[in-house]
Amino acid sequence: MEPALAWIVLGLPLLGAATLAAWPTEPPRSMTRVLGVGPIALGFLLSAWLYVQMLGESSDDRLVVSRVWEWIEIGDLTIDVALQIDPLSVMMMLIITGVGSLIFLYSTEYMEHDRDYRRFFAEMGFFVFSMLLLVLAANFLFLIVGWALVGLASYLLIGFYYEKPPAVAAAKKAFIINVIGDIAMVIGAFILIVELGTLDYALVFEAAPDGLSRGAVEAVTILLFVGAAAKSAQVPLHTWLPDAMEGPTPVSALIHAATMVTAGVYLVVRTHELYELAPFASDLVAITGAVTLFLAATIAMVQVDVKRVLAWSTVSQIGYMIMAAGLGAYGAAMFHLMTHAFFKALLFLSIGIVIHGLAGEQSLDRMGGLGRHLKLAYVATAIGVLAISGVPGTSGFFSKDEILASAWDAGDLGRALWVVGALAAGITAFYMFRLLLRTFYGPEPGGGYGVHPHRSRWPMTVPVAVLAVLSLFGGWIQVPSGWSWITDWLEPVIGPESIPGQQAEGVTLVASIAVVAIGAGVAWWIFAADPGRRSRLAGRFAATRRLLEDGYRFDPVYQQALVQPSRDLGDYLYGRFEPDFIQGMLKGAVSLVRGGAIALRAAQDGLVRTYAFVMVAGVVSLGALLAWVVTR
Amino acid sequence: MAEQVVFVIAAAGALISGVLVVTLENAFRATVALIVTLVSVAVIFLLLAAPFVAVIQIIVYAGAIVVLFLFVIAYLGERSPPGMEDRLAPYQPFAWIVVIALVGQAGIMLANSDLPGLRDEPQATGDIGSPEAVGRAFIDDYIVPFEATSAILLVAAIAAVLLAKRAIKFEGGR
Amino acid sequence: MSGVPLIWYLLLSFGLFGLGLLGVMRRRNPLLMLLAVELMLNSANIALVGFARHWDNTDGQIFALVVMAVAAAEVVIGLGLVVAVFRQRLALNVDEMSSLKG
Repeated sequence: MEPALAWIVLGLPLLGAATLAAWPTEPPRSMTRVLGVGPIALGFLLSAWLYVQMLGESSDDRLVVSRVWEWIEIGDLTIDVALQIDPLSVMMMLIITGVGSLIFLYSTEYMEHDRDYRRFFAEMGFFVFSMLLLVLAANFLFLIVGWALVGLASYLLIGFYYEKPPAVAAAKKAFIINVIGDIAMVIGAFILIVELGTLDYALVFEAAPDGLSRGAVEAVTILLFVGAAAKSAQVPLHTWLPDAMEGPTPVSALIHAATMVTAGVYLVVRTHELYELAPFASDLVAITGAVTLFLAATIAMVQVDVKRVLAWSTVSQIGYMIMAAGLGAYGAAMFHLMTHAFFKALLFLSIGIVIHGLAGEQSLDRMGGLGRHLKLAYVATAIGVLAISGVPGTSGFFSKDEILASAWDAGDLGRALWVVGALAAGITAFYMFRLLLRTFYGPEPGGGYGVHPHRSRWPMTVPVAVLAVLSLFGGWIQVPSGWSWITDWLEPVIGPESIPGQQAEGVTLVASIAVVAIGAGVAWWIFAADPGRRSRLAGRFAATRRLLEDGYRFDPVYQQALVQPSRDLGDYLYGRFEPDFIQGMLKGAVSLVRGGAIALRAAQDGLVRTYAFVMVAGVVSLGALLAWVVTR
Repeated sequence: MAEQVVFVIAAAGALISGVLVVTLENAFRATVALIVTLVSVAVIFLLLAAPFVAVIQIIVYAGAIVVLFLFVIAYLGERSPPGMEDRLAPYQPFAWIVVIALVGQAGIMLANSDLPGLRDEPQATGDIGSPEAVGRAFIDDYIVPFEATSAILLVAAIAAVLLAKRAIKFEGGR
Repeated sequence: MSGVPLIWYLLLSFGLFGLGLLGVMRRRNPLLMLLAVELMLNSANIALVGFARHWDNTDGQIFALVVMAVAAAEVVIGLGLVVAVFRQRLALNVDEMSSLKG
């Protein structure tokens, strides 16, 4: 196995991004395309080759730490510049570069009309580099570095249309919430340094059972989870993700669906040895995941902006992954992470085709009947909807069912959460079919379309097609009661994992098919069967509807409790403290000096006689002083 | 004995005329008092076995410098114009205090001094004050100060010319 | 004792010096101030020559002669300045010449 491959895959996107950024003028489009897509596509090929190499190794040899340089040495603490190359990180690499290449290719066409073409690809390349750093890091320091850089990339990309105030506000919001997570993670890292004296994954996991007290390990895992919750938009740190849809659609696809937001899941799986020592924290993780997945699903039911529907569904699906990780089903969590990357990217990209075709329209109220015009988008979206709903045979079906089955087998808490998950699956089916039907089915909006929905070209259609295939068939690599290829692959990292039992699988199978049927059926009944029914029913449950539309009022509460007081503090400091106190101190110092100078100036009265007097007086004083000193 | 008598007379003369120098209002009279002081000091020099210095004192100080003063006083008018009130008058006592303090300090210092021979009879001296002795000292040991002093005098002469030139020009001369 | 001990000369020197100092601080006419300065210079010369005899050495006398030469130069320039100031129509009052104030 050649560790250098990992370094190359890591470095190429950075190189591409740096070149694009440093270019003195806007480079020619072809060059930007090559420097943008090239490194990522190449990275995928190299990652695949690395994977093939790894297959050739025995299971024990698949974990390699490639150390390049001993960077920090303070006392007993040593931190190296090192990459961890093992099944988990290679899996993430493949997902990031694979799905990434498809999305980058798509973007070359989608962003064609944008004047900041180069900036887009530079920022995206920087993002991929940061994300790879995050997953390849071999110690907590570089994990946190990658974590923070990914947050920066997200800020830059959400605020891509920086001339639009909502975009800027959304970028700030995302960044601030992420920083809260970052701080928690740093504190967690500090605790590790204090207690164990190292940040290396290998050393930490080895020393943890004996070296960390129960309280310490609970604290560290909870702090790390705060970071994960912020990055993965779990309740209560989820409010930034729907707003992040202000960014261009490819950004939403790559960062806020397929990769960055899954970093939290990756973190829990990577540090699972700590979570196994901290049952309280693990339960907290699972419950948070469950609460999030349910709340988000309900909110998605009433969203009118297509991208917001997908955003809330992302929050919800990540909640499934987090819940699985909290319950110890790491293989299931990673499986769903992978399938979700496929079908969520697919959904975003195909909805992107719709938005692109309608010249920027994003509201469901002004869509309908697009199936006639955008056939590929219709089929692709339909496949994505089937996958996310967990229709049997699709990738989402296998991964979601595995999560639910593992939950069933995970004790009392697990069973309770199973109920939540199953219900939410039904709601998921409902709102996803709602999206599909209102966009592509039924009548066109009154007045038809002002713009003729224009077809997209191959850079957009090919990735969508590839993702559609993956979403349909990608789940067959892990079939319950059959083979569990992902869990086996990850075994060197996550240890041997129990496969859900027959009873769990059976119950889950029945339940999931039932809820999907009900959810889809209700959606059909409201949105498709009778065209007028939707508006008739819209008036009912108005209060509940408003609550859901407001996202359970998280945002106003945060605004009141946190944002406004901060603003007020800022205003106070700027308006009162700074001029009165700080400037006042400066002015006071100045006037003190000036007053002293004026006082001293009185001695320079210009009269010779005064000077003579002062000289003599000085001599007399000095003489007296000397006499006193000498006689001591 | 004789030495002491001469000293007392010369000292008294110097001190009394010194008082006159600093108190007389009329500039002319003050300058004349200075002449008396200078002559008394020349006598003191003679007592101190410095005949050459005494003669130079008379020739240069009393003869040249005082004459300069007299010329300028004549040129400018002997009486100081009435002018304004002395704005520093209230502070006079301070001047007295300071001078008395200084002289007092000096006195205390002298009283406590251990300098050998300070209060004794003066010893006989060799030839230290004759022109030959002074000349040799200048040429052998202190040639540099000698030349430096001539340079200073040169500078003073040039400065005098310059200052006078400006004055003439101001009055409409060439 | 029939000779004059050194300390008498020193006392005389200090006395003359004090007188000169008083004169400098009290006189407003610059010419009269210069006279008082001459007084102080002479008192210094007395001390110098006195010590010359005490140490049986010509050095003090040499110093006194140099002082005299410098005093001459100083008087020349000082009087020249006084004349120049007078030419500017300023009153002969040292308090008026206070442009270096502040």
